[in-house]
Amino acid sequence: MIATATIPLLRELRRRLGAENVLGAPSELVVYECDGFTIEKNRPDAVVFPRSTEQVSEVVKLCARYGASIVPRGAGTSLAGGCLPVGGGVVVMLTRMKRILTIDLRNRMAVVEAGVPNLELSRALAGSGFHFAPDPSSQTASTIGGNVATNAGGPHTLKYGVTLNHVLGLEAVLADGSVLQIGPVPDPAGLDLLGVLVGSEGTLAIVTKVWVRLTPNPEDYRTLRAIFTSVDDATNAISDIIAAGILPAAMELMDQGIIAAVEEAYRFGFPLDAKAIAVIEVDGPAAGLDEQERRVETICRRWNAREVLRAADPRQRELLWKCRKMAVGAVGRLSPSYCIQDGVVPRTRLPHILRRIAEIGAKHRVRIVNVAHAGDGNVHPILLFDERDRDEVARVLEAGREVLAECIASGGSVTAEHGIGVEKLDFMSRLFAPADLKAMRRLREAFDPAGRLNPGKLLPSECGASAQT
Amino acid sequence: MLPLSETVTPADRNELADRVRRAAEQGQPVYPLGGGTNLAYGAAPSEPGLGLSLAGLERLVDYPARDLTITVEAGMTLATLAEHLAAEGQQLPVDVPYPDRATVGGAVATGAGGPRQYRWGTLRDYVIGLSAVDGCGTLFSAGGRVVKNAAGYDLCRLLTGSLGSLAVIVQVTLMVKPRPQCSALAACPIPDWDTAEHLLAGLVRTQTLPSAIELLAGPAWRDAPSLGPLPAGAVAWLAVGFEGTDAEVRWMLARLRAEWGETGATVAATLLDRQADPLWKALTEFRQPGPERIADGSCAAEIRVLPGHVVETVRRVLKIDGIASILAHAGNGVVLAHIPAAAVAGLRSAFRASGGSLVVASAPAGTTRDVATVWGPPPGGWTVMQALKCRFDPKGILNRGRFLVADGCR
Ligand SMILES: Cc1cc2nc3c(=O)[nH]c(=O)nc-3n(C[C@H](O)[C@H](O)[C@H](O)COP(=O)(O)OP(=O)(O)OC[C@H]3O[C@@H](n4cnc5c(N)ncnc54)[C@H](O)[C@@H]3O)c2cc1C
Repeated sequence: MIATATIPLLRELRRRLGAENVLGAPSELVVYECDGFTIEKNRPDAVVFPRSTEQVSEVVKLCARYGASIVPRGAGTSLAGGCLPVGGGVVVMLTRMKRILTIDLRNRMAVVEAGVPNLELSRALAGSGFHFAPDPSSQTASTIGGNVATNAGGPHTLKYGVTLNHVLGLEAVLADGSVLQIGPVPDPAGLDLLGVLVGSEGTLAIVTKVWVRLTPNPEDYRTLRAIFTSVDDATNAISDIIAAGILPAAMELMDQGIIAAVEEAYRFGFPLDAKAIAVIEVDGPAAGLDEQERRVETICRRWNAREVLRAADPRQRELLWKCRKMAVGAVGRLSPSYCIQDGVVPRTRLPHILRRIAEIGAKHRVRIVNVAHAGDGNVHPILLFDERDRDEVARVLEAGREVLAECIASGGSVTAEHGIGVEKLDFMSRLFAPADLKAMRRLREAFDPAGRLNPGKLLPSECGASAQT
Repeated sequence: MLPLSETVTPADRNELADRVRRAAEQGQPVYPLGGGTNLAYGAAPSEPGLGLSLAGLERLVDYPARDLTITVEAGMTLATLAEHLAAEGQQLPVDVPYPDRATVGGAVATGAGGPRQYRWGTLRDYVIGLSAVDGCGTLFSAGGRVVKNAAGYDLCRLLTGSLGSLAVIVQVTLMVKPRPQCSALAACPIPDWDTAEHLLAGLVRTQTLPSAIELLAGPAWRDAPSLGPLPAGAVAWLAVGFEGTDAEVRWMLARLRAEWGETGATVAATLLDRQADPLWKALTEFRQPGPERIADGSCAAEIRVLPGHVVETVRRVLKIDGIASILAHAGNGVVLAHIPAAAVAGLRSAFRASGGSLVVASAPAGTTRDVATVWGPPPGGWTVMQALKCRFDPKGILNRGRFLVADGCR
C-alpha cells in the first residue's frame, strides 16, 4: 500500500528526476526493504536514483517540503540495518553517481562520486603505484560513499587506519538541501565537520562526492600464514606481536570452523586440523622486512605455531587474501543462514574474548565460527543457524547479545566498523551515559533539526526505546 | 594576554564542572588554561572572565602499554606524557611545541600537528576517547579505549581542534605507537624554485617512507640548527625526515640520495638521532614563535593549500615580502610564514580563490585580532558550526570572542 500522502511527492519526484529514475510500485520497492541485515524489514515509500548532486539536493528539498524522511543508500551491504527505511520514506540511491572524476597523483588524491564501488577505484589505480587503503571485505560491491558513511575498515586498517584517515574532502547535501563542501584543503578556521560526517551513517548528510587520499604502494610485502594448535596460542601471539612494537600491515585470524568453510570453497590447502590460522602481512621498504618477518615468526613459534609459511609469490599472496576476504561468504556452505557480529576489545583482551565467545556458543548451543581483524582487537564471530528454526533464531540473538555485552565488559565496544544502524541501538545506552548520548543528540540536531535524515538509526530515541519498524 | 578577572585551579573534574556551571549561571566568560603556550592562538577576547586552569588535573589514569593506548587527564604536559610512553618504548608521534609546558588538553583543543604529520597524521588521528565539560557545566564522555570504534558519532573529532569553544576537555585517551629505533633528517640546498617543485613532486613517488617533508626559507633559517648557513645562491633547504629501525633508516637515506642523485640534487647534511633533535625542535616550534624569533610587526600565518601548490604559495609570499621566513610541511600543503601583518588580507584572498586558507596563528601586540582578521571569512559549514556552538555552549561563555561565537542562539 502506498500511503496516499506520498502520491503528490512521487509525482513531483518523477517530474524532476524523470519517471525512469523513481520507483514507487510496491513490487519494485521490495528489494529496498532491508540491506545486509535481514532481520528487520520495512518497505520505503519511494526509491530515487539521482545522477547529480543537484538532483540529490532537489530530492532533499522536496522531501523537506512533504515531510518525508530520507534514507541514503549505496550498495546496501550494511550489516547493521543502516539502510532500513524505518517508518518508510524515500530511499536515495547513490549508485548511479559512479564516476571517478579525477586521479591527481601529484596531490596523492582522487575525486570520486559517492556511488563508485571501492574496488573500481583500486582497478582504476592499478599500475599507478598508488592505492586507496580502506579495503573492507565487501569492497567488490560496497561504495566509497557507503565506506565514508560507515567509516569502514578492513584487514589493512591495522597499519593504515580506517576510512576517515583516507578522506581529504567531502561534498555533501545537508538536511535543508544545501550543498556543503569541506576540504580537500583542510581549513583550520572551523570545527572538524569532515571528521564528524565520516561514520555518521547517513544521519547528518548525504555524501555525494569524496576526495580520497591515495597511498603509495609499499615497495614489498611479506605475507605469512601461521598455523596454531589452539586459538589461545594464536591470539596470544598476535597480542605479543603488537606489544613488541612491530606494526604489521595486517593481522587476521581465522578459526577452525571458518577454515573448513574456506577450504571447501577454495581448496587453498589449509590444514583442516589447524585450530587457528593467522595471516600476517608486513610491508614497507624491503630493507626492513626480513627482520620484521623474523621477529613475527619467532613470536609465533614461541606460541607453538606448528608452521609459519611465507606466500611464495604475488599470486599466492593474492589467493591468501582472497580466502580471507571471501571467508564470510564461504560460510554459506556451512549453514543456511548466518549472522556476522562485530565487536572490539582492547588488544590484550583478544584471547579472553575468543574464549568467552566459545563458551557463549556452547551455552546457547549455537555454532560460532570466527574471523577477526585480530591486530585491532576487532572480532567477527559468525553465528550459524537455520532461520526456519524459531528456537535456534532466538538462541542466536541471545548469544549475539551476550557476546557484545562481554565486549563492553572487557573495556571494548559493540562495533568497530559495521556501525550501530538499527541493529545495535539497544546497546548505545549500555555503552554511553545519558549525558554522552545527549551530546551526540545535540550534534544530530545541529545538522538536522527536523530529524529527517535516516531516522531511527545510530541513536536510541530519547525515551530509550529502540526504533519501531 | 587573556582578560582574566580571576583564575581558579580545580582539583578534579567535578569541581571544574561546578565552576563552569556557576559561570554559566552568571553568564561569565570562561577561558580554559593549559600550559599557556598557545594562548595567542585565535582572536583576542575582550570580555574579562574566569581563567580555568587545568593544572590540577594531571594524573595518569590508565596505561595498558600492551594495548598501545593511554588515558591521562588533560592538564598533563606533553613532556610528562612522553616520559611515561618512553618508559615502555612508545611515543605519540605528533609534534607539539614547548612540550615542557604544553598540556595534552591544550594540544587536543588546538588539534596539534607538526612536521611528522606527513607520515603520522595529526592529533586528530590519535584521540580515541575523551571526557569534557560543556558550556552548561555538564560532564560527558565520548569514544572509548579501543583503537577502532564505530559506536555513535565521533565527538572526539568534533572536540579536537575546537579550541575549547564547545567544551573544556578534562581527560583524553590516546592511541600511541611504538617508538622508532632511529630517526634522521637529510637536507639539500635548493638552487631555485622550479627545482624545489621538481624534487617535491619526485618525493610523491619515492620508495622511501618520509616522516616529514620540509621546505625552509628566509632569515629564520639563515642559521638553521645543525645545518649551518645556506650555501650562496640557494633559495631554500629541503629537509626530509625518516624514522624506523637502524637498517630501515640507513636504507632510506641511501635510497633518497640515489633518487635525488638522478636529478642532480645532493644531500648536503645528514643528521642522525640526537644530532637531528635541534632541527626537529625548530621545525616544531616555528608555528608558535617566541617574540624574540619573529620580526617586529610580523605575524605568524598558517596557510593551507594542496601539496602541489606549496612552491607557488611560497613564491607568492616571497613576492610580497622578500625576506619572509617560511617553513612548509610541504607534503601536507601546510605553509607557515612569518609575514608583515599588513600583508595578510591580500594573501588571504589569493589563497581563498584556489580553495586554500590563511589563519593568523599569532600577531604582534597592538594589531587587531578579531575573529574576522584571525580566521578569515567563515569556512564551509559555518551555519552548522554555529548551531553546534549554540547547543554545546548556549550562553557562549567558553572562550568567548576567540573562535565560534554564540550569537543568535535561540
Ligand atoms: C560480506 C561482507 C563483508 C563486509 N566486510 C566489511 C569489512 O571488512 N569492513 C567494514 O567496515 N565493513 C564491512 N562490511 C559492511 C559494509 O560493507 C560496509 O559498512 C560498507 O562500507 C557499506 O557500504 P555500502 O555502499 O554497501 O553502504 P550501504 O550499506 O548502502 O549503507 C551503509 C550506511 O551508510 C549510509 N550511506 C550509504 N551511502 C551514503 C552516502 N552516500 N551518504 C550518506 N550516507 C550513506 C546508509 O544510509 C547506511 O546507513 C561487510 C559487509 C558484507 C556484506
